[in-house]
Amino acid sequence: MANRSKVGDGNGRAAGLDGPRPAADALAAQPDADATRAAKARRPAMRKITIDHVSRIEGHATISIMLDDAGQVTDTQFHVTQIRGFEKFTEGRPYYEMPSITSRICGICPVSHLLASSKACDDIMAVRIPETAAKLRELLHCAQFVQSHALSFFYLSAPDLLLGMDSDPAKRNVAGLLAEHPDALRDGIALRKFGQQLIERLARERVHPSWTVPGGVNAPLDPRAREKTLAELPAAIAIVKRTIALWKKTVDSFPNEIESFSNVPTMYCGLVGPDGSLRLYDGNLRFIGPDGAIVADQVKPNDYATYIGEATLSDSYLKAPYYRPVGYPDGVYRVGPLARLNVADRCGTPEADKELAEYRERLGRIVQSGFHYHYARLIEALYALERMQELLDDPAILGTKVRAHAGVNNLQGIGIIEAPRGTLIHHYKVDDNGAMTWANLIVATGHNNLAIGRGILQVAKRFVDGDKIQEGALNRIESVIRCYDPCLSCSTHALGQMALQVQLLGPDGTVMDELAR
Amino acid sequence: MTTGKAPGAGVLVVGYGNRLRTDDGLGWHAIEQLAEDPRVSGADLLWRHQLTPELALDFAQASLVILVDASADVEPGAVAVRLLGPAVPDDRTLMSHHIDPGSLLALAIELYDRAPPVYVVGVGPFSMDDGDRISPALERVMPQVVDAVAEIVANRGRAAHELKDSPEAPGGS
Repeated sequence: MANRSKVGDGNGRAAGLDGPRPAADALAAQPDADATRAAKARRPAMRKITIDHVSRIEGHATISIMLDDAGQVTDTQFHVTQIRGFEKFTEGRPYYEMPSITSRICGICPVSHLLASSKACDDIMAVRIPETAAKLRELLHCAQFVQSHALSFFYLSAPDLLLGMDSDPAKRNVAGLLAEHPDALRDGIALRKFGQQLIERLARERVHPSWTVPGGVNAPLDPRAREKTLAELPAAIAIVKRTIALWKKTVDSFPNEIESFSNVPTMYCGLVGPDGSLRLYDGNLRFIGPDGAIVADQVKPNDYATYIGEATLSDSYLKAPYYRPVGYPDGVYRVGPLARLNVADRCGTPEADKELAEYRERLGRIVQSGFHYHYARLIEALYALERMQELLDDPAILGTKVRAHAGVNNLQGIGIIEAPRGTLIHHYKVDDNGAMTWANLIVATGHNNLAIGRGILQVAKRFVDGDKIQEGALNRIESVIRCYDPCLSCSTHALGQMALQVQLLGPDGTVMDELAR
Repeated sequence: MTTGKAPGAGVLVVGYGNRLRTDDGLGWHAIEQLAEDPRVSGADLLWRHQLTPELALDFAQASLVILVDASADVEPGAVAVRLLGPAVPDDRTLMSHHIDPGSLLALAIELYDRAPPVYVVGVGPFSMDDGDRISPALERVMPQVVDAVAEIVANRGRAAHELKDSPEAPGGS
């Protein structure tokens, strides 16, 4: 990817964020429909293929593929074309409203924002929340992982993974799955329902629940909910084990995708426990190099900015975090399932550890190919279910002391969790009255931005040839993005579904081909 | 949840829409009122922001399904009831984690071999602006919405062919 950044000010605040953002020509016209139409009218005649099909990613994005005179791919750009500005418009709000406000960033992973935000508020209050509250929050988080990973694997990726990247696009959809893999579809529906139901059982609402609050949670666990969930867990675990078995039989049929889907050396980042085991709700940051060497370990949440810088890109509203000691743009690191399994020494639950051992035996200790995010995601789903079992088996889960009360005791707070898509950071500053004066949110898809860009370049070089984009190439470009399960709505704190547009640009910038979903 | 001989036993009522877009949230308000209504006691009452594929399982376990939603295709303040037929699953919505009512019914049939009668109670909104309350005008219509649901529950079995002739109202939110 071309260097197209402005680097932040070293305090997690990116340059240009507070004022109008510069935008490249292609993006400058985006908010203005008339200007967009005029720009298109000035372009030379082009072929435009419109695929009447909503892409299976959250948010809006455009990809530009640049060609040289010989028609070979020289560069790609991944533009995220929307912005909502939660960081700005929350200024002045009471800090304790932040969990409710920021959970509205996303309808898929509101629980993740709720938890990271609540942790940042805990920090502002300078409280250690009750043991039961911490366990309940983690239980909720595990449920979120299960439903989100089920959504990603079964709903969004299964048509490609189970029917094949080159299968007939007309059948590469739910109808195809219904015809050829109804059992997998049933499993996906049942697994997601299990996760959603547990969220609802705990928090009353499955989307935008308000149960998690600064200082803990607002109600203890109903023993009947515990019993119900324990009774349902074995079936959920069986689904994930079945799916892992299916995937292990299937994954080797994608040699080209494994080789070329974001199979690039990068650093990795994720939360780990004191013993180096996988952590989703709590823990400290660990960064490893492409070779697996630990370069920073047990980084406390309040020290994240020492290691993570943020660049703004001139042609995208999605910022580009980088590993600060290495600098931009070389400090590329990845987060999310693949990264977490690279970073952690072990999962810490028996069945997930068994699968992790086989995963590493098959793929190596450090897995680079972005295609294996799918495999890693399934192992994490198994871990989350086993962790639920552990939490529910612990008598402390039924404790009734679930909330600490305090006022403003710190003028800033930082909350970090591992969201399903990767590390999620909420960083707030408040005044003495608890009114928000500043916020910085670093979301999983942001961390992965630079790596996604490199992955797109890699797959474009492999599958785009000449001045025309074939459908199979478009699908692979989308799929490499989909491996990361990106939530562009979250990463720009933006709203809506992704409509992906790919442009093929000649050496002089002429649009030679364009595909839109 | 369903219990014994309660009038709503085996009935699933789903009110859905965006609670922060005034009248689009009428499904949520309807469910709140139905929860207090003895005519549907025993029914499984759910509120959702949108329909999702997981509801196919709930459809499959119900003997009667009623969906309550704002419908821009209905005159403001009008309440239209229709009996739904299965539709070819729409990939554009299903694979993006929300789904239209007909596709949902088709999923229940294809995956679970169950086809409960599904009624859509569509209500014409007056406003879809930002706001967490329904408009005063729609507030006045809410008793009719609740009555429509209760009537379907009371007349189940014989209501299907009668309601089939009612004004059609698409149920998409």
